[in-house]
Amino acid sequence: MSKTWVVTFETYLRQVKSWSFLFMILGPFLMIALTAGISYISANSNRSSSQVAVISETPALRRGYLAQHSDNINTKITTVAAAKKAVKANHLAGYLTLSNDGTRLRGDYHGSKSMSSGLQAQVKNFLTQYQQVQNYQTANLSPKQQKALAQTPVLKQHVATKTGTSNLAKLISFWVLVTMIYIILITYSSITAQEIASEKGTKIMEIIFSSTTATSYFVGKITGILLMIVTQIVIYLLGGWAGYAIAMNYAGIHRLIVDHQTLVSGVFHNLFNLNLLYLLFGVVIYTILAAYSGALVAKAEDASKAAQPVVMLGMLGFFATFPFQNNMDAVIVKILSYVPFFSSYFMPMRIINGTVGWGEQWGSLAILIVATGLFAVYIGRQYQRLMLQTDSQSLWQHLFKGFKH
Amino acid sequence: MLSIQHISKEFGPVKALNDVSFDVPDGQILGLIGQNGAGKSTTFHSILNFITYAGQIHWQDHTLAATDFDQIGYLPEERSLMPKLTIEQQIIYLARLKGQSAKVTRPQIDDWLQRFAVKGTRKSKIKDLSKGNQQKVQLICTLIHHPKLIILDEPFSGLDPVNADLLKQAILTAKQDGAAIIFSSHDMENVTAVCDRLVMLRKGNVVLHGTLDEVRDQFGKTELFVTTDWSADRLATLPGVASVTSRHGRRYVLHLTDATAGPAIFDALTQGHYIEEFSQQPPTLDEIFRLKVGEEHV
Repeated sequence: MSKTWVVTFETYLRQVKSWSFLFMILGPFLMIALTAGISYISANSNRSSSQVAVISETPALRRGYLAQHSDNINTKITTVAAAKKAVKANHLAGYLTLSNDGTRLRGDYHGSKSMSSGLQAQVKNFLTQYQQVQNYQTANLSPKQQKALAQTPVLKQHVATKTGTSNLAKLISFWVLVTMIYIILITYSSITAQEIASEKGTKIMEIIFSSTTATSYFVGKITGILLMIVTQIVIYLLGGWAGYAIAMNYAGIHRLIVDHQTLVSGVFHNLFNLNLLYLLFGVVIYTILAAYSGALVAKAEDASKAAQPVVMLGMLGFFATFPFQNNMDAVIVKILSYVPFFSSYFMPMRIINGTVGWGEQWGSLAILIVATGLFAVYIGRQYQRLMLQTDSQSLWQHLFKGFKH
Repeated sequence: MLSIQHISKEFGPVKALNDVSFDVPDGQILGLIGQNGAGKSTTFHSILNFITYAGQIHWQDHTLAATDFDQIGYLPEERSLMPKLTIEQQIIYLARLKGQSAKVTRPQIDDWLQRFAVKGTRKSKIKDLSKGNQQKVQLICTLIHHPKLIILDEPFSGLDPVNADLLKQAILTAKQDGAAIIFSSHDMENVTAVCDRLVMLRKGNVVLHGTLDEVRDQFGKTELFVTTDWSADRLATLPGVASVTSRHGRRYVLHLTDATAGPAIFDALTQGHYIEEFSQQPPTLDEIFRLKVGEEHV
C-alpha cells in the first residue's frame, strides 16, 4: 500500500470513528425521529381530550353520522350523563346531540370551547344531507323533480399545469442544490482546516516528513476527507431511500407523491445530472482551500480560526445566488458561472434554469477541474514549508511569502 | 555512510551553519554537541531536507531522496505523538509510513514495550501515558523499522538515569546492526558513554571534531588526580601546578600549566614510597565543553 493511502485511511478512520462525525451523520436522523416521536406522543396524549361524543335518541341518525365521520369521535360514550362526566374530567372536548322531531333535524354541541371549523362543517353537511332527504320525502316529489332540485352550479379551474410544475421544480431544485453545496462546504471546510491546523508546527510533522513527501501526505489527507464526504452522502442517500420507502407505506404520502409525480421527477432530473460533478469538484476545491488556510495559521492553537476565510467565501457564494435566482441572464451570473469557487453555485443555477448550452457547461467544468488540479499542486509544493514553520507571522504574511516562494 | 560537506545556512542576518563538514560511517555513533542555538537542529533539518542549504549532503554516495525515507529513523527535539491513538495504533501508523507493514510490526510491539519498560499496554491511549513513557514510545517508533540512518535530537532529555541506560543500550544495539547514528546532547556523560566520534558546534562553526580520545588529547594531559595526605595549599606550591580542586577527603585534582610537569610532581609526592592514586589525564569532555563555550565569551 502506498504511503498516500496509509495517510488517507488513517485520516478517514480517525475521523469516522470520532463521536463528532457520528453525531454529524446521525443528527438529522435523530432530529427527524425525535420530531416524529414527539408528534406521535403528543397526538396520542391529546387525542382523548380533543375527541367528541355523538349522542342521539334516534340510533339510525347516530349510526349515519358515524358511518360518514369516525375520526376523533369517542364511540364508547352513548349517553348525555356519561358525556358530561367525561367533559368534566377533561377526557372529552364536548358532545353533540342529534335529534329529529319528524320535520326538522337539530344538532346541539356542548363543550368548554366552541366547535372547530372542521367539525362544524362536518355536522352542518351531515344535517343538510339528512334534512334534504327528509324534505323530499315530506314534499312527496317525483324522481324527476328531485333530480331537478339536486342540480348544483359548476366551478372549474383551468391551470397550465406543466409550466407551473416546471417552474416549481426549478425553484425546489435550486434551493435543494445550493443549500446542499453550502452545508457540505461549510461543514467540511471547518473539519479540514482544523484537521490541518492542529498539526501545524508540531514535531509529529517532522517525523512524518522524514517518512514521506509533503505532497504525498497532503494528497492523502485531502483524499481521506473526501472519503468522509462520500461516506456521509452515501449514508444520506441510503437513509433517504429507506425513508422514502417507509413513507410510501402511508396512504397520504403515497397519494401526495403520485399526485405530484411530474414535480418529483423534475426535481430529480435537475439534481442528478452535471450538477453533481459541480457539487463534487466544488467541494474538492473548497477542501483544498481549507487545507491551505489551515496550513497558513501561525500555530496549532489557532486551528479554530483557520476555517474562517473559507467559510466566508462559501457564504459569499451562497448568498450571492439569492438576488439572481429570477434573473439568470445577468452578466454577473454568466461571469461567476466560470469562476472557480463560485461556478459550483452559479452554473448549476443556470443549468436548472435551462439557459446554458452543453459547451458552456463542460467549459466551465473544465476550468473548475484544471483550477483544482493547479491549486492542489501549488499547495502540495509549499505544504512542508508551511507545516514546519513556527514563526508568528500572520496569515497574510504567510500567503505573500507563499507567492514569492 | 552519511557525508556532510561544507554546508552553510543563513536565516536572514543570522548565520546558523558555516561550512560544516563531517562524516558518519555505517556502524558508528557521532555525538553533536554545542550550546542552545549552536546549529545542531539546523544540521538535522538540513540532512532531512526540511530546509534548503548551501553545500552537499550525501547518504550512501547519493543525495538523500524520498526513496531513502524508509531507512531513516528520526527523533525530533520536542516529543509529539497523536494523543487519541493507542500505543499500538501509533507505532503501526508511523511504521507503515516507513514502509513496514502492520503484519511485521504488530508482533514486535510487546517486545519493544518490554525492552523500554513502558508503563502501559499496547491498548493504552497515548494521552494517558506519562511524559517519560510517551518519550519511550516515540523512541520505539524511531527504531522499530530498523533504520540504517538514525538521527536523534536530544534523545536523553527528560529521561531518568535508568531509562537513559535503556536508551544507550538500544543505540548500541542499532550500532551493532550497522546503522550510522548521529545524536545531539548536552549531557557529556552520555556522549562519552556511547559516541565513537564527536563534533562540537559553536555559532554554526565546527570547533571540535574527532574521536573522543583525539579531542581530549588535543588539550594535553593537564589534569592530575591524586590521593594524598598533603594539604591543598601545599599541593599548590608544586612546580607546574596552576590550581588545586579538592574532591573529597584526601582526594584532589591538580590543574597543570604543562603536561610535562607530571613526572617531577610524581617524584615530589611519592618520594619513592607507595601512593594510593596518581592519574594524569586530559580534561573531561564536560570541561572541554565549558572551556570551548568560555572561549566565546573571552
